[in-house]
Amino acid sequence: MTQAPAPRPGGVIHDLGYRGYTGPRESQAKVAWTLFITSLRHAYGLGRSGRSKVLPFILLAIMVLPAVVMVGTVSIIGLPELPTTYAGYPSSMQVLVSLFAAAQAPVLFSRDLRHRSIVLYLARPLSSRVYALVRWASLTAAVLLFTAVPTVVLYAGGLLAGLDAGEETLPFVKALVLQVLLAAMLAGITGLIASWALRRGFAVVASIIVLIVVVGVVLIVQAIALEERVSTIGEVAGLFSPWSIHNGVAGSWGASNSAIVDLSTTWTAGYLAAAVVVVATCLALLVARFTKVGAR
Amino acid sequence: MNSTIATLALQALLGRRRFLLLVAFPVLMVALTTMITVMTGLEDPAWTLVGELGYTLVLPLVAILAASSVLGPEVDDGSIVYLLSKPVNRHVVAVSKWVVAWATTLLVGAGSVFLAGVVAGGGDRAAGWAVAGLVAGTTYSALFLALSALTRHAVVIGLAFVLVWEGLLGGLLSGVAWLSIGQWGARVGHELSRDLPDPVGLPWAIGASVVVTLAALWFAGDRLRSFALTGDE
Repeated sequence: MTQAPAPRPGGVIHDLGYRGYTGPRESQAKVAWTLFITSLRHAYGLGRSGRSKVLPFILLAIMVLPAVVMVGTVSIIGLPELPTTYAGYPSSMQVLVSLFAAAQAPVLFSRDLRHRSIVLYLARPLSSRVYALVRWASLTAAVLLFTAVPTVVLYAGGLLAGLDAGEETLPFVKALVLQVLLAAMLAGITGLIASWALRRGFAVVASIIVLIVVVGVVLIVQAIALEERVSTIGEVAGLFSPWSIHNGVAGSWGASNSAIVDLSTTWTAGYLAAAVVVVATCLALLVARFTKVGAR
Repeated sequence: MNSTIATLALQALLGRRRFLLLVAFPVLMVALTTMITVMTGLEDPAWTLVGELGYTLVLPLVAILAASSVLGPEVDDGSIVYLLSKPVNRHVVAVSKWVVAWATTLLVGAGSVFLAGVVAGGGDRAAGWAVAGLVAGTTYSALFLALSALTRHAVVIGLAFVLVWEGLLGGLLSGVAWLSIGQWGARVGHELSRDLPDPVGLPWAIGASVVVTLAALWFAGDRLRSFALTGDE
């Protein structure tokens, strides 16, 4: 008679006879879509506590208010055109847009890492790579909404006030295309910072420095370069901030006049390439960060 | 003023990564001013940098970081209850923490503004910006400490105050200067150098700075006195 093997230390899982789940299972795409919608809602505080709705909606209200006022002046005074360009509007409100992106990125990227609830997401059939990309996509959508709402108000209000649809549509579409690019860059940068700096305030201040302070420096350098007539420095300097990339391309497309330097066709292509590179780099680093964190 | 609490606050400030950010940013600003002065040989762009970047952005950002570093992390992880359970007057706690944030703001924030001013050309104008930095740095640090004691979103609200209210709206509506800490400081600095802006009356600038500083300090202590620990949203 052989001796029974010594019981191994640790617990044993008994099969108590509970029925397993045999029904239909949703695909990973469905999980990703649900996460996208939830994150988009959370970026505006929907589905969260009342206090977390205050900040995004106050910022959105301040963002939309000037657009409403402008439409009002057009309709009451009867101006022949809007007092701003569609692409120039978010640029003149860049402080608000940057603040929104910087303040809401930690909501989507920091909290799951800080409280380690990321393991609950990754226990689902959702890879850490998809998780990172979906979070980025929803922050992009949130920032895009933030800039697109006042733009649509300007466009729709302008048309209702009797502006010519043929003249207004092209700059409006150009502005929206640029905003997609801008939102992708802002979401990439702030998301990356928020996934590294888990303390809330720290991430916000770091994002603000990267987004607002750097663009201030770029503008000063560009102004000096213009004065000294060395335009190449001004053009190169513009590559260092998402805002100057946005404004530079908008200027060369004839969609706004808020850029200091005039870009040639080659430089415009260079700016667009730089925007794509920025987004791609941020995404690669984000995926690397979440792959590392998810593996722990 | 309790030296133990002040020492602990100083350690919390120095021992974290955010201190690198706190110092790196002003250093960059001074380096940039130096670079521009040397490369262009012009004074105007460098002074723009001191006024627009140093005084209006670096100084408040340093104040926000310093004030939220001495109080924020403790509130965030809840360890502030161990401090609040000690038989120390809450107003003393607030003042002790503020002294650390205040000294850091003046040293790093106003110090770097003064340094950039010296690099850009020195003289009365640099002294004017330095005095403006001392006045505004004091008020900013007290206000942001009160915000940190009031809410978890102190950093965002502080940034919104500096960037949206003082920056965006202050640029559009001149009346905002009456309720702008940065402009009060600049008005006091204006006494030393005519090159600084002169938006409001001097008595108002001094009076408002003093009142806001004292009220914010009292309020921070009062918030700590009736402190409620809440969950993360």
